[in-house]
Amino acid sequence: MTIVTSAPPPQVPGAEAQVPLGPTSDAIPGPLRFVGRALRTLWSNGKARVGLVIIALNILVAVFAPLIARHSPTATDFAPYSSPSATNWFGTTGNGQDVFSQMVYGARISLLVGLGAGALATLVAVAIGLVAGYRPGPIDEVLSFITNLALVIPALPLMIILAAYLQGRSVWTIVLVVAFTSWATGARVIRSQASTLRNRDYVTSAVFSGERLFRIVFREILPNMTSLVAASFFAAATAAIMAEASLEFLGLGNPSTVSWGTILYFAEQQNALLSGQWVLVFAPGLAIALLAVSFTLVNFGVDALSNPRLREK
Amino acid sequence: MFTRYASSRVATAGAVAAAAMICLAGCSSGSNNNNVSATGGTLTIQGDSGNPALVEDFNPFHAPTELHGTFLIYEPLEIPSPVNGSYTPYLATGYTFSGPTSLVYTIRQGVKWSDGQAFTPADVVFTFNLLKKYPALDGNSVWGVISDVSASGNNVTMTLKSPDVPFADTIAQTPIVPEHVWSSVADPTKSANTTPVGTGPFTLDQFAPTQYTLKKNPSYWQAANIAPSEVVFPAQATSQSTNQLDVTSGQFDWAYNFLPNVQQTYIARDPAHYQYWFPPGGTITLYLNLTKAPYSDVNFRKGLSLALDRTTIAKKAVNGYMSAASMSGLILPNLKQWLDPSLPNQGSVAHDQSAATTAFAQAGYTSQGGKLVGSDGKQATMTLVMPGSFSDWVAAATEVATELGTVGINVTLDTPQFAQYSSAIQGGTFDAAIGGFGGSGSPYTDFNQALNSSFAAPVHTPTTNNFERFKDSSADQALTTLAAATSDSAKKQATNALEQIMYNQVPVVLMYYGGSWGLFSTKHFTGWPSASNPYTLPTPYNNAILTVVNHIHAA
Amino acid sequence: MRYLRRKVLLFLVTLWAALTLNFALPRLMPGSPVDAALAKIASTGVPVTNAERAAIEIQLGAPHGSVISQYWDYLTNLLHLNFGTSFSFPTETVAQTIGKALPWTLVLVGTTTIFAFIIGTLLGVYAGWRRGKTADSTITVGATFLAAFPPFWLGLLAIYWLSYTLGWFPLKGGYSAGLTPNLSPSFLADAFNHSVLPALTLAITTLSGWVFGMRNNMINTLGEDYVTFAEANGLRPRTVALLYAARNALLPNVTAFGLSLGAIVGGSVLVEGVFSYPGLGNLLYIAVSNHDFPLMQALFLVITMSMLLAIFVVDLLYVRLDPRVRQQ
Repeated sequence: MTIVTSAPPPQVPGAEAQVPLGPTSDAIPGPLRFVGRALRTLWSNGKARVGLVIIALNILVAVFAPLIARHSPTATDFAPYSSPSATNWFGTTGNGQDVFSQMVYGARISLLVGLGAGALATLVAVAIGLVAGYRPGPIDEVLSFITNLALVIPALPLMIILAAYLQGRSVWTIVLVVAFTSWATGARVIRSQASTLRNRDYVTSAVFSGERLFRIVFREILPNMTSLVAASFFAAATAAIMAEASLEFLGLGNPSTVSWGTILYFAEQQNALLSGQWVLVFAPGLAIALLAVSFTLVNFGVDALSNPRLREK
Repeated sequence: MFTRYASSRVATAGAVAAAAMICLAGCSSGSNNNNVSATGGTLTIQGDSGNPALVEDFNPFHAPTELHGTFLIYEPLEIPSPVNGSYTPYLATGYTFSGPTSLVYTIRQGVKWSDGQAFTPADVVFTFNLLKKYPALDGNSVWGVISDVSASGNNVTMTLKSPDVPFADTIAQTPIVPEHVWSSVADPTKSANTTPVGTGPFTLDQFAPTQYTLKKNPSYWQAANIAPSEVVFPAQATSQSTNQLDVTSGQFDWAYNFLPNVQQTYIARDPAHYQYWFPPGGTITLYLNLTKAPYSDVNFRKGLSLALDRTTIAKKAVNGYMSAASMSGLILPNLKQWLDPSLPNQGSVAHDQSAATTAFAQAGYTSQGGKLVGSDGKQATMTLVMPGSFSDWVAAATEVATELGTVGINVTLDTPQFAQYSSAIQGGTFDAAIGGFGGSGSPYTDFNQALNSSFAAPVHTPTTNNFERFKDSSADQALTTLAAATSDSAKKQATNALEQIMYNQVPVVLMYYGGSWGLFSTKHFTGWPSASNPYTLPTPYNNAILTVVNHIHAA
Repeated sequence: MRYLRRKVLLFLVTLWAALTLNFALPRLMPGSPVDAALAKIASTGVPVTNAERAAIEIQLGAPHGSVISQYWDYLTNLLHLNFGTSFSFPTETVAQTIGKALPWTLVLVGTTTIFAFIIGTLLGVYAGWRRGKTADSTITVGATFLAAFPPFWLGLLAIYWLSYTLGWFPLKGGYSAGLTPNLSPSFLADAFNHSVLPALTLAITTLSGWVFGMRNNMINTLGEDYVTFAEANGLRPRTVALLYAARNALLPNVTAFGLSLGAIVGGSVLVEGVFSYPGLGNLLYIAVSNHDFPLMQALFLVITMSMLLAIFVVDLLYVRLDPRVRQQ
């Protein structure tokens, strides 16, 4: 295996100047400033721009759902199994609910679960992964052990049990359950990258020059894994959206809430494909896919955050 | 997505399957001898759920796992009908009550087991003694009611511990097994009986993990009635929607499945051959916890009953296939011969907002600013529980919540897993619950399970019947009378008293009938049960299958 | 050797902790799983024997007896592969039920995962190497869309169109009704025919993970100075990409591969369920929806074990792939 011996500069050129990450002892950029810069960098990437626009649209739809939807998502006022019409743009469910209104309100749940669980899972993954990767010895052992343990427990069954355990059955239950069951993969990947970086010469030199642990981890190591962390977030967010849909689809969520997952659940229960209710199956499936695509597109821009070579010309 | 099957079944049978084992016993009427069919042809029935593989178990006493085909291999003494209460004789030619506690069956002669040995009254006695020896096999608790069984000549006499005429239904439907085979089975409770020997029209031909085949028993005592030369049971998939696709693709002669828009999704695919029949097989019910206020107040219950628009609920829940239920507690029209003529409008309760308001007011609840407020100044609230996986019940509950919301009751839906639901209703820790009621075909069994105060265990003590915990001495008395009644007029009188109790005291709020979802094709066989010829329910998972096979003829 | 010894020790300790968690989970559940299980059996009309009750209590928590003694009984039972009686499949032991389902999942999901890993990784290397070019965009955008569809949703549509409407594939199951699993060519062909759609669904939805992982890693690695250095030294770009960059970029993907191999069983619940495929995932769904706790617990264990083993093997592989770890 080749190990290049020439002394590299401390960082990938340009990265530090563009995105000073995390709190350091001498310069603490406000979190807002950081997000602002990150967003600006993201915006410069064409794919990420598309992703951001889609996410923003989803957020707008979710926030202004009562203004956009023309009917209550739960009212069973319409003739069941009707095709799309001027009154019911996407037709109605087998129970006579307006599918379009359900789709609009459903965006709330999917976004909430996706962003909430993604953020929560990433927070845990970064904290545990970084510390474990940088601190070999007992700390790594313990944290890796916890990570491994979390990994070996099958996520979906664990979700099911936890969903049953947390009686509430609200959206927050799903957020917590998904976050709790999906941080470990990110933590493990981050840890393995951190442990590789730890032996890099620039880190070694930082250690020898007496820099503090906190500073080394957040200034020398983290910026080199921005794409990994961001990828973790968007992967966790995507997984959360999928998990929500899956739990609901299996009938293990709360079928009396309106989400894209429950729309699919009832579409399957009423065999919408068989009765020709295409919209009932396609609308929620495509909406889930579109949101997941937008997260991945943003991820392309995220890569450019830590790797300027990727920026689009 | 995978639970519709369970849901439909439970919807038919009652909330907890314990009831189902007795009450789902399908029923038949009419004669068996009205057709002489050409032999030949394969009868394909959408079979048991076999995911990932069928459980190879032809033990007729293993209720949870026995395969549907078992009902074509073993025969009972008689099969009672839910339609007119009459019995179709099988291994017995008839029965009489020689005294209130003495039930005598005349055993059919000339019947042979499929291995060639003669069937005798001793086999009947052996079968019942087998259940006595191994209570694990006695799922219907026959020995909780009878104290002795003995044969003399062609007669087998059951001695009952106390008068219980309706229990003859259960005794009659006990499958009879051959002594010469089962006497040497080491542990009948564990035996999967993979080489079954019975008296029925079919014997086991081939068994594969996802399909089994029965072939015609040439020595069957009424072999001339049996049209199919073989019966094939392909197993159902895990995915219910796949099973529905399977049904419409036309490979089955008989399937049991809920289909949305059945005219369009099924009939339209082959209008010349496809037919469906969705008769009521149970009642979907709003259970109220009578140990809790305000549900302990009969006026409040009456208010709830009047505030519900049952037709709309039925429409939302089951596509309008089923109609609103009669508050008499009888499934109509199946049991209309027992209906008390003095009940207004056949016992059905129409949506009546002002009558509901009056009833609530009598219970001390008045409408204030759109809220139904009690004398304590608080709004009436209700937590309504049902298994989250039963989408038809969830749809019904959603509609109930909407309708009760308009009278000012704040309804919260609780949709846990089945086990949590079941422990809530069994333990009496619920507020209100959606559940199944009745469907046994016997008014006594239905009323007894719902109203008998001996089932009304204290809260936190599980009970499998009377979840609402209804206690009423006149109801108990009527049940005792009905149990001992042998004459039709006595039966009718006691049944009417129970209907009055259901109607006037509203122990449970009956909402709409749960369906049995029979789908048939006349391509190979005709003579399926239908609305115009309702000789049994279209349920292939109980004795109805034996009745149907005896009725159909080659197309 | 020290590394190896430590990994073995870690493996054993994790194994123990996982077993213990498996023991603790049902005991932490709300209500009483034992009561639910017993009620479930009773509700089907079969009286519960004392032996069955004892077996269920050992697995799910007895109302009496100390936790320590329950724990001891639990471990003893595991050692004898005694997982109790499943009430979904009462005529066979839970070990037998799982044993029958295991090969289906291993073959279906195992080969699909390896296939998706190889294809995905190669595409990722290529996309990373040709970053910004048309090939990169095509691969990444394509993979983005494929990954975004819920597998069960794709499965439903595939069943409806390809199986139901067009009749190209069977609707359900792992083999045709009426057949008994064997190793004859005709049966294998039939089984293959049944596995095409579930395999495609799984492959399509997991492929992109490898593409992105590998592409991201490639990009990071290609940004490294030793790569620039190698390029400056006049090495051919393809040599650089494959020999230097891809090899280093592979490390995190190998980690992920180990994890996913173990996770296949849990992850295939939905796909196997939709296609009614006779594997562990389907079984797990059945167990969960039937509240078949003994079967569920046993499946938990099987999945846990497979994940542990996979991670252990990857840890060992890691030493070979990244000598820096060995030098610690």
